[in-house]
Amino acid sequence: MSSEEIFEPKIVAFVCNWCTYAGADLTGTSRLKYATNVKIVRFPCTGRIDFLLLLKSFAQGADGIIVSGCHPNDCHYTSGNFHARRRWIAFRSILDMMGVDVRRVQYSWVSAAEGSKWADLVNNTVADIRALGPYTDYQKVADYLEKEVQDGEA
Amino acid sequence: MSKIGVFICHCGENISATVDVERVAREIGGMEGVAHAIDYKYMCSDPGQTFIKEAVKKYDLDGVVVGACSPRMHEPTFRRACAEAGLNPYLCEMANLREHCSWVHEKGEETTEKAIDLVKMLVEKVKKNNPLESIKVPVTKRALVIGGGIAGIQASLDIANTGHKVILIERDPSIGGHMSQLSETFPTLDCSQCILTPRMVEVAQHPNIKLYTYAELESLEGFIGNFTAKIRLKAKSVNYSTCTGCGACIQKCPVKKIPSEFNAGLGTRTAIYVPFPQAVPNKPVIDRVNCNYYKRGACKICEKTCQVGSIEWDKEDEIISEEVGAVVLATGFDVKGTDFFPEYGYGKYKDVLTGLQFERLASASGPTFGEIRRPSDGAIPKKIVFIACAGSRDPAKGIPYCSKICCMYTAKHAMLYQHKVHDGESTVFYMDIRAGGKNYEEFVRRAIEEDTVNYVRGRVARVYEKNGKLIVKGVDTLLGGEQVEIEADMVVLATAGVANCGSEQLAQKLHVSYDPYHFFAEAHPKLKPVETNTAGIFLAGACQAPKDIPETVGMASGAAVKVAALFSNNELVREPIIAVVNRLAPPLYSTCVGCFMCETACPYNAIEHEEIKARDGSLIRTIARVNSGLCQGCGTCVAFCRSKSIDIQGYTNEQVYAEVMSLLND
Amino acid sequence: MEKLRERAAAILADGTVSLVIGYEEGTKRPRPLFCHDGESARKLIFDSRCFHNLAVYLTKKELVGNGRFAVTATISTLRSIMQLYVENQLSEDKLLILTVDLSGTLREFVTFDEISAYVEQFELKRSEREQAILTRIEGMTREERWNFWQEEMSHCFKCYACRSACPLCYCTKCVVEVNRPQWINPWPAPVANMEWHINRAMHMVGRCTACGACGDACPVGIPIDLITRKMMEDMAPEFGYIPGLPVKKGNALSTWKLDDREQFIR
Repeated sequence: MSSEEIFEPKIVAFVCNWCTYAGADLTGTSRLKYATNVKIVRFPCTGRIDFLLLLKSFAQGADGIIVSGCHPNDCHYTSGNFHARRRWIAFRSILDMMGVDVRRVQYSWVSAAEGSKWADLVNNTVADIRALGPYTDYQKVADYLEKEVQDGEA
Repeated sequence: MSKIGVFICHCGENISATVDVERVAREIGGMEGVAHAIDYKYMCSDPGQTFIKEAVKKYDLDGVVVGACSPRMHEPTFRRACAEAGLNPYLCEMANLREHCSWVHEKGEETTEKAIDLVKMLVEKVKKNNPLESIKVPVTKRALVIGGGIAGIQASLDIANTGHKVILIERDPSIGGHMSQLSETFPTLDCSQCILTPRMVEVAQHPNIKLYTYAELESLEGFIGNFTAKIRLKAKSVNYSTCTGCGACIQKCPVKKIPSEFNAGLGTRTAIYVPFPQAVPNKPVIDRVNCNYYKRGACKICEKTCQVGSIEWDKEDEIISEEVGAVVLATGFDVKGTDFFPEYGYGKYKDVLTGLQFERLASASGPTFGEIRRPSDGAIPKKIVFIACAGSRDPAKGIPYCSKICCMYTAKHAMLYQHKVHDGESTVFYMDIRAGGKNYEEFVRRAIEEDTVNYVRGRVARVYEKNGKLIVKGVDTLLGGEQVEIEADMVVLATAGVANCGSEQLAQKLHVSYDPYHFFAEAHPKLKPVETNTAGIFLAGACQAPKDIPETVGMASGAAVKVAALFSNNELVREPIIAVVNRLAPPLYSTCVGCFMCETACPYNAIEHEEIKARDGSLIRTIARVNSGLCQGCGTCVAFCRSKSIDIQGYTNEQVYAEVMSLLND
Repeated sequence: MEKLRERAAAILADGTVSLVIGYEEGTKRPRPLFCHDGESARKLIFDSRCFHNLAVYLTKKELVGNGRFAVTATISTLRSIMQLYVENQLSEDKLLILTVDLSGTLREFVTFDEISAYVEQFELKRSEREQAILTRIEGMTREERWNFWQEEMSHCFKCYACRSACPLCYCTKCVVEVNRPQWINPWPAPVANMEWHINRAMHMVGRCTACGACGDACPVGIPIDLITRKMMEDMAPEFGYIPGLPVKKGNALSTWKLDDREQFIR
């Protein structure tokens, strides 16, 4: 791996068990290929996904985040995705006010039948985040405390 | 420190072809808290499972991660294996190395590294897993069926025939529903009552069915397997145990001009009445709104007529309580009023009818004994116009959806008319003909080709009266929008099917959701059409959306099977993936502050108010509690709770936090 | 004002309430006053300088006890009280609300609906200060906003005065005190500070009535009230609410509509 300096973004995907997780399973069964950058964390429902997890992901060094669940009206729990949708509307607005780069959070609906949509979503998101570059703005300040300790030790 | 066992599967070559499984096992083996890590060709095979079982015992493992296929595939397999080895099954997790890794990436370093990350993530999760016990709920093996139309009848009979008790309640004085009002049924033109009444009688006589007519659900409490239904038995004013159903009181009742509901307003009935001759039970009730005695305090002619003294003037509504384990909702539909189409003149002109009224005219048991006669003058109409989609598929004035049955019943009406009035001329104005169904298209073709019904594609703009004729003005869009004017003797509107009145209130009593049109909502539009999102409550028939008789009967049998399946066990076993509100020692009791915002967020009404009381009975605090019978484990409340007082088992805050941290920590 | 004192003294004397929470003259500005008898009620004042949101005391059991109590309320306080009613933190049978309207007439409220009918007449407007800063922020690019808040956040030392001043931060255990997992690091650091304030704003969605108490309370003058204020202004039209006018059932995040915006969802 000679460093040709292609930026490989770190992307976490928060997905619901019933639609997107199953959709990503179908991507696999269909042998469709996508980038390795994205790692999936499984939740019962998009309604379960805490906004703090998204903040922690950035603080922990994620360059991008995917949040995906069932299409409207398809939620296994009937309305978890509707609650989530509202939560993300508010969250995006607040992040934007604080100057956080909301382009780094990609929301999507991927159903259990949309294996190819999942592959496209991952590939497009990786390309988008790659174009945006590493989220150093955030990571710089996130490292603040750790660095101070290291400086102290040094 | 944790003692986690990690088992990496090659899945033949499905995983090992692109992932260096040995390296995964090696690197994970070096992780803190991992006591044992191996790879094997087929983890799910018998020898593979034996490896796991033996390792659980040998290394005294307190957690297992299997890196193999999707947990949606084999999670139950590996959890069972762990349970057999004495490890709580919920301490076993799967890392999806096949569908989410080896199958979607090329062979290479990154693919193996991703596999390592995925396994690490699950190892970190499993460290935070708690042993869980599956939830066992006892089941009351008795079903409540609400609504005694064909859906409720079919569901009741099917459940009763599996040997379980059924309580069937019907709002009206007789069961039978809309189907009993129909003349003939498409596409076979067999007489509706001829096929329905035997089933009605079967219901009444079935040893496993307890029938309450003139009864409504007052409230439903509890959860799957354990509901308590309060049923209001409306006062019939007639003692059914003594009444012989001779009908003498009906003959003598002086109040005779009440529009008959059964005849859709075309005939009349008395104040003490049986809705129709084949009613089940065939015993009268007194309509207290119209009865002279209840209105003015005098009359009592029926009491004098009754040979057995069955009239009970002072009878009051009675509320009974029944324990049931499942509920089938079969409350049917209603026909939309036509007042939103004033240009069609319904209500203004006596000879503009709804489809249901036409059914009564065509029915041998109807007000004209099956002869098609004009309500205005009793004449036989020589020209008749049927207007399809009167309200359906009309977002501006009516309802946006297709009522589904109108195309077929309109074709049937036109056909029946042609069969009864040989020199008559019938015209159908339609938007599209929707005849999907076995023998349906053939049926419509028969109406057009054999019975020479004139089908005109276009809408009717206006119906007005001129010289005793109904002038129908419309367009024929197939003839380039040419104006069509027909002088008709009768106009029949195929009015839209809508949710039954009171369905919204009923849905709220049952905590089932309903769509914007107040039809009850199924749990999943494709895969759970008879379930509601409240476990233990099922749907049958047109209360879910307009549908025809075969579909209704099929759905009712489907609901019955769901009920029978539920009743086939003494206990319900549920995954313990449910939300829990934390409990602490006094004086805090819980970190929940009782804002109950979770209550509105919960799709299942599973949040209850728990009152924490002091020894003297005084209220200390009211906090939330999750009803484990109702909770389905979506976790919406968890993400919503500001103080993190609710958590969901299997996906706890600690677990998901550990996963995210591990993924990014390197 | 005299009427207010008389009424307060009267309801204390006849036992209608056991406590009246109001304002008295302070050294620089009016301060909260807790009257347990008619004597102390004579010190009550109520004018435009009284902006401290007294609703913050109403959820403190150790202050208000188990009996019925009264509070003199500004419009901001009334808005907060409505929201506290919605969140089951106050009960209508325990509270009597006194206020003086624009014409100087003493008014009393008990129920949510009574307050709502009164508060409805007052539009929630940005103050000059709020307008000035928000216009500045709204004119910035995202990077500028980031830098602006990073600079502001660098002053935050996590004293949680904002939390103490907010009438709606009444949780017995705040999320920052939850340590399994430690969602938000308790120490002051740029990201931890920002996480706290984003978290605060998220917790206020559909709840904040923009009383500004958090901003007033901040000892280092970070305009944190504008984070929630902006959120509220943006979310009210989004979810069909009137800013600052709580609705009885459900909250913006615990309810939803089929046609909520989703053009950001791919």
